[in-house]
Amino acid sequence: MAEWSGLHSSTSRHTMDKSITLPPDEIFRNLENAKRFAIDIGGSLTKLAYYSTVQHKVAKVRSFDHATKVIIDELYEISVQEEVTARLHFIKFENAYIETCLDFVRDHLVNTDTKVIKATGGGAHKFKELIERKLGLRVDKEDEMTCLIKGCNFVLRNIPHEAFVYAKHADSEFRFQTTQPDIFPYLLVNIGSGVSIVKVESEDKFERIGGSSIGGGTFWGLGALLTKTKRFDELLQLASKGQHTSVDMLVKDIYGGSYGSLGLTGDLIASSFGKSATADKGFPKEDMAKSLLHMISNDIGQLACLYAKLHNLSRVYFGGFFIRGHPVTMHTITYSINFFTKGEVQALFLRHEGYLGAIGAFLKGAEEDNPNQYSWGENYAGSSGLMSVSPDMNPMQRARSGTFDMLEMDRLERKLVNLPLLQDASSYIPDTVDLAEDALAREYWLYCFEEALDGVVKRALASQPDMPEAAERAEKFRQKYRHKLQTLRHQPFAYGSLTVRSLLDTREHCLNEFNFPDPYSKIKQRENDMALKYYQKVVKSLEELSWEERQFALIRGVLAGNVFDWGAKAVSDVLESEPEFGFEQAKRKLEERPWLVDSYDQWFERLKGPPHKCALFFVDNSGLDIILGVMPFVRELLSRGTEVVLASNSAPALNDVTNGELQILTESIAAMDPVIQAGLREDRLTLVQSGSSSPCLDLSRLDKVLAMVVRERKTDLVIIEGMGRAIHTNYYAMLSCESLKMAVIKNSWLADRLGGKLFSVVFKYEVPARPSLLTLFT
Amino acid sequence: MAEWSGLHSSTSRHTMDKSITLPPDEIFRNLENAKRFAIDIGGSLTKLAYYSTVQHKVAKVRSFDHATKEATSDELYEISVQEEVTARLHFIKFENAYIETCLDFVRDHLVNTDTKVIKATGGGAHKFKELIERKLGLRVDKEDEMTCLIKGCNFVLRNIPHEAFVYAKHADSEFRFQTTQPDIFPYLLVNIGSGVSIVKVESEDKFERIGGSSIGGGTFWGLGALLTKTKRFDELLQLASKGQHTSVDMLVKDIYGGSYGSLGLTGDLIASSFGKSATADKEFRCYMAKSLLHMISNDIGQLACLYAKLHNLSRVYFGGFFIRGHPVTMHTITYSINFFTKGEVQALFLRHEGYLGAIGAFLKGAEEDNPNQYSWGENYAGSSGLMSVSPDMNPMQRARSGTFDMLEMDRLERKLVNLPLLQDASSYIPDTVDLAEDALAREYWLYCFEEALDGVVKRALASQPDMPEAAERAEKFRQKYRHKLQTLRHQPL
Repeated sequence: MAEWSGLHSSTSRHTMDKSITLPPDEIFRNLENAKRFAIDIGGSLTKLAYYSTVQHKVAKVRSFDHATKVIIDELYEISVQEEVTARLHFIKFENAYIETCLDFVRDHLVNTDTKVIKATGGGAHKFKELIERKLGLRVDKEDEMTCLIKGCNFVLRNIPHEAFVYAKHADSEFRFQTTQPDIFPYLLVNIGSGVSIVKVESEDKFERIGGSSIGGGTFWGLGALLTKTKRFDELLQLASKGQHTSVDMLVKDIYGGSYGSLGLTGDLIASSFGKSATADKGFPKEDMAKSLLHMISNDIGQLACLYAKLHNLSRVYFGGFFIRGHPVTMHTITYSINFFTKGEVQALFLRHEGYLGAIGAFLKGAEEDNPNQYSWGENYAGSSGLMSVSPDMNPMQRARSGTFDMLEMDRLERKLVNLPLLQDASSYIPDTVDLAEDALAREYWLYCFEEALDGVVKRALASQPDMPEAAERAEKFRQKYRHKLQTLRHQPFAYGSLTVRSLLDTREHCLNEFNFPDPYSKIKQRENDMALKYYQKVVKSLEELSWEERQFALIRGVLAGNVFDWGAKAVSDVLESEPEFGFEQAKRKLEERPWLVDSYDQWFERLKGPPHKCALFFVDNSGLDIILGVMPFVRELLSRGTEVVLASNSAPALNDVTNGELQILTESIAAMDPVIQAGLREDRLTLVQSGSSSPCLDLSRLDKVLAMVVRERKTDLVIIEGMGRAIHTNYYAMLSCESLKMAVIKNSWLADRLGGKLFSVVFKYEVPARPSLLTLFT
Repeated sequence: MAEWSGLHSSTSRHTMDKSITLPPDEIFRNLENAKRFAIDIGGSLTKLAYYSTVQHKVAKVRSFDHATKEATSDELYEISVQEEVTARLHFIKFENAYIETCLDFVRDHLVNTDTKVIKATGGGAHKFKELIERKLGLRVDKEDEMTCLIKGCNFVLRNIPHEAFVYAKHADSEFRFQTTQPDIFPYLLVNIGSGVSIVKVESEDKFERIGGSSIGGGTFWGLGALLTKTKRFDELLQLASKGQHTSVDMLVKDIYGGSYGSLGLTGDLIASSFGKSATADKEFRCYMAKSLLHMISNDIGQLACLYAKLHNLSRVYFGGFFIRGHPVTMHTITYSINFFTKGEVQALFLRHEGYLGAIGAFLKGAEEDNPNQYSWGENYAGSSGLMSVSPDMNPMQRARSGTFDMLEMDRLERKLVNLPLLQDASSYIPDTVDLAEDALAREYWLYCFEEALDGVVKRALASQPDMPEAAERAEKFRQKYRHKLQTLRHQPL
């Protein structure tokens, strides 16, 4: 049974003022371009979904070669263009606000030509007339379960860290699961008024294999009868404070201790409410509520386990209003599942579980747009995070912040897939440290990002000197990002796992949100121009070295180039105060061998062997890094007979070189360097975009074209460069071919933690373990 | 969890007179020769088991051929009546309220016993240990409850034909008995006491508690008491049998206006137990009791089905105080099992389910006698029958006739087995007509046997012409058999 009967709707409708004023900037964003609507009306909450287009600025680079005028030194011109991208908006609000919200939507709908709104949920029927009258759209009802499953498949596929395990007493309450390439089959246990247990086998195939009448409605109904408390949330609060042992009969109440021969511990509940028939006095409300909660959660847990076992399913997701973010119920369900399956099955919950129906209804209506052929990404700037406040900690906070909740998803230009060279895609976790689990690291990085904020704002402003309103936008950006950081300080798991990557990505999303598409564009341009001037000189001096010396010099060059990174505070300080800080100086800053992580000798031995077939190089920064560090190295690889695929970001992030910039840079290097030119001409040097716009790298979400090229060229070496891509992420990534991870540590805290110092070098050359012939034949 | 917490024990102990006078002829028969004791003390009921020998007359025939004395008559063989001693198992069930009186009675009538130990099981064994030791002067030897239960269950399934039955409320015959199967294993036993234990039994000695639930009889009783302010279990059941659950439960049609076709859910299906009561203005005690009964029975039914499927078991027996002869609970459990397995699994109940623990405890103590090597037969003369009165028909009758209940089993001289030539032993039914299902035939035969009774009494008397007290015994026989016939007229099962 799906969520239905008005979870405190009856009460809230009376106590709340319907004519609230909505802050239009914040909710119902981009409504003027909304094209397609869907609504899911549950017992208490309405979820509205719409598809809209967002116009935002993107930074483009264009080579001057093709321009008619030749008046300046600059290699390429930067222009900011308007781009229209697709975004999905989901808004959740209490049913009490439905009229106000519908009015608001009607008043702001401008460019829509849609005639239909897809509707699902138990309340769709009830509010049908109201919606049709208010919006002038025809309500088209969709099957609830179908929508739920469709939505579930969508979030599992598109939102990394959608599913999580709940662990009340662990250091981090929520433990997020990595997205699995194959999400099927799974079991969905939807606990609304009753319970539906659904086996999902593919996108379109699901079956309700079981269910129970003992669900959220039972907790609510029996709870109301027993405690005279009519509100669901209050009942949960009561339960979180109660002691069930005075109401329940435990094994030890019967046997004086455990019942060893049956393996029953003394504290096990033998009979729910077993003591209440013979008790002389009444029980505290809290105790009865707690006992009831245990009874229902345990029962559902056991049923879920049995169905999972019977149908051989190991992934069990729980949803519905009984679960929806309530820590108490997540805890009791998790406990019960652990108990019954002895850990074989994990209870998984979903961050956007409340939106599943709305997402599904939307997808039903949008089938002609085929949203499943795209990849979608959660927009951290526009989405509220997951609420996680235990009701016993702060009962009001949930209710307050829960009034309006938003999820926004951007349609990504291309479908993202796994890197085919991952050793085990299903166990791959991009991030090296989960900050949600590491309180010290979390403290540091949140502090660090907050400290760096002023600088980012300054740079954003500087990137748009001729726009007078930029100051205002920059200030808005500052506030929004600071607020996100504060939210994350209190709720580290608001957007899934908290990692350095998610902090960086959130910052990029917020910058884009306020139309600062590329704050570093000018700096990158200046550095690129400057570095190009030294290219030939660097190549020439390398040519003069012996083969052995050159191999080492090339590596040192890549590392020295990587010292230049505006993303790292220590470096941006140096760069801003010493603009002449040069390549040679950077080399001197580098740690001497032996490095902090040093497998150069193995790499060198390998180079004496046959050339690699094809190297995939994930590049990092613009300027000296790419031009004087990476390109000479690429040149050497090409000379050895190794094909090279350079993967760079699709869209800007910090001072990272973008695919657009790299195209132009490579062209101009090719003009000076016959080796590079031949590489391009003979298609032995290829530039691809990574699909990412993050300073970090998620090898499970890469551009489909990249994956194709990697496969076609039989890539046998992966090179990952830079702190963001090789240390914050992928440090532990296991690849099925040889890999080289290179970075300079430009953060003293991290250096400290890794046992090194500022400018320590990580040079990690790895060869996947293969069974040797020797062990095969003995 | 086995039956435990005093199912109306606390109330009954106060309202009933403990010093009742026991009719010694009727209960605790053959106590003077009792040899071995076992006791199972549940939450409300005590079950006492003992093994005794019975001296009774057997008619013997002997050919004259081998006799030394000359042939004086024309007769081929002579008839003699001899005394023979046979073994009999006695099981007596009574309310815990009578335990002291009963123990006193037992002590006073124990004559020939040399036993030093009484096997005890059940949750109450611990509680009454001291009392039993003091009263009987026997050492209480505790036996594992579940082991006793399973042992007892195996024993009755093997030895009592028609022990297991299917309950069908609206059928012509409420109870449909199963024939004894030569191979009783494996089976699932769902014991619904305060909580629920789900036990897989694979052989005489191998069983495993594969599951269980805290939602059991104690939950019905406890939640029922809180909701209805009715503290007695039987009254709760009565309330439940009168209620309409639809005003408390949220049905599929309450949500979707009808059935939810694409999921195969009919409109009358309960979507959420008590789903309406958070928003309802009125509360009716009987509605709540009914809803509660449905909720618990359905839940247990579903769990039982899932465990049966998971372990590939098709025979599922239900027992425990939640079931124990209560038609309402048997009906809801049966309904639930049918619903969840679409008829693949049948809910089976046991006639002597209340005795399982006592039988098992007794067998544990008697293992040296190896009772499993014999066959045992129910002695119809000494056993009370199964009670089948629906609480709504006659609420008091159950309570009254339940005060003392007996089961006697005779040890048969030899082990009885199937005729190896039976085509299908498991489907073989010796009887041609089941009178319980054929009302007309039943009427006729009961009438017929009653008519013939006078003749039988006459013939019995005539067989013992030289015994003066035969007349008195013949009269007792007449009364007893007539009473049995009358009982069967009202309770054919």
